[in-house]
Amino acid sequence: MEKPGDFRRRTITYVTFLCAVLALLAGCASPATYEGMIPDRFDITQKRPETVDVVVSGGQETNAMWKTQISDEAFKQALIEAIGKSQAFSKVVQGKDANFLLSVLIFNMEQPSFGVSLTVNLEAVWKLSRVDNGKTVWSESIKSENTAGFSDAFAAVKRLRIATEGAAQKNIAEGLARISKLNL
Amino acid sequence: MKVIYNKINASIAAKLLSGLLLLVLLASTTGCANRATASLSPGADLSKIKSFYLIPGAEDKDNFKLIQANLEKRGFGVTVGPEMPLPYTSDAVVTYVDKWMWDITMYMIELTITFRNSTDNFPLAVGNSMHGSLTRLSPEEMVDEVLTNMFNAKPKQ
Repeated sequence: MEKPGDFRRRTITYVTFLCAVLALLAGCASPATYEGMIPDRFDITQKRPETVDVVVSGGQETNAMWKTQISDEAFKQALIEAIGKSQAFSKVVQGKDANFLLSVLIFNMEQPSFGVSLTVNLEAVWKLSRVDNGKTVWSESIKSENTAGFSDAFAAVKRLRIATEGAAQKNIAEGLARISKLNL
Repeated sequence: MKVIYNKINASIAAKLLSGLLLLVLLASTTGCANRATASLSPGADLSKIKSFYLIPGAEDKDNFKLIQANLEKRGFGVTVGPEMPLPYTSDAVVTYVDKWMWDITMYMIELTITFRNSTDNFPLAVGNSMHGSLTRLSPEEMVDEVLTNMFNAKPKQ
């Protein structure tokens, strides 16, 4: 037979458990999304008629208990979308059908652990080479940074994701801008 | 009989709930997180490197010595010094970022080491290792893991 205090104790326990789970889920890191990494604006000097294949490496999968990471797939998708929107190249195609191969290595990312404003620094190595002869026509290291504050999001994990996506956005915009200025 | 059955049920339920709560608490730390990766820049060839210039972290006391010792054990010449204008006389420049966390004791949760070209600072290779509390490694082991992965990494393109 249930004692008078049992129901109250059980309810408190269940509510505490539920709060712990909700707090845990709210604090989980989520990966950078490809939509969040597509630039809004482009500084394209010339639109190339050639086609390009895109390869991305160096990305990481996100551990929910640590920090937002950028995966190869998400960055590649964002880059493909950005090329389509900016017309930096006429089209993205796969393999030997492309005129150029654009390789991006997500080299280094510095993310803070704490703070009201979170600034993420991203460095990526960009390389453009001809598919027909494999010759590298351009290679540069591009650094970008982005800051997210309380106005962007209250939760720190979300702020970090926004800052990370913004750094990737700027990196993609800068990479395509530099490519558009090349005399190939 | 029914009273005894209910008591047993309540006891089992209480234990199950305690176990679940403990699991949630454990998972809420980074205890089980593990990662070790390394990437080479396209065209980078680490076999051409014979010497390194190692720049200690600004707030680092002596962790740089672990990296120096590990590189020297691999047969590389290592010069330690502050950041200076390019170019450096060594073949490559080494920098690192180490992150620490407290869980009963302090432990190194993440280590990132980068190699750069000594003449133009162009990135050559980067290695990263992250170990949560339950799978923590000593700083020496973290350094060894990162550098081993870097020297074994193959360029993607």
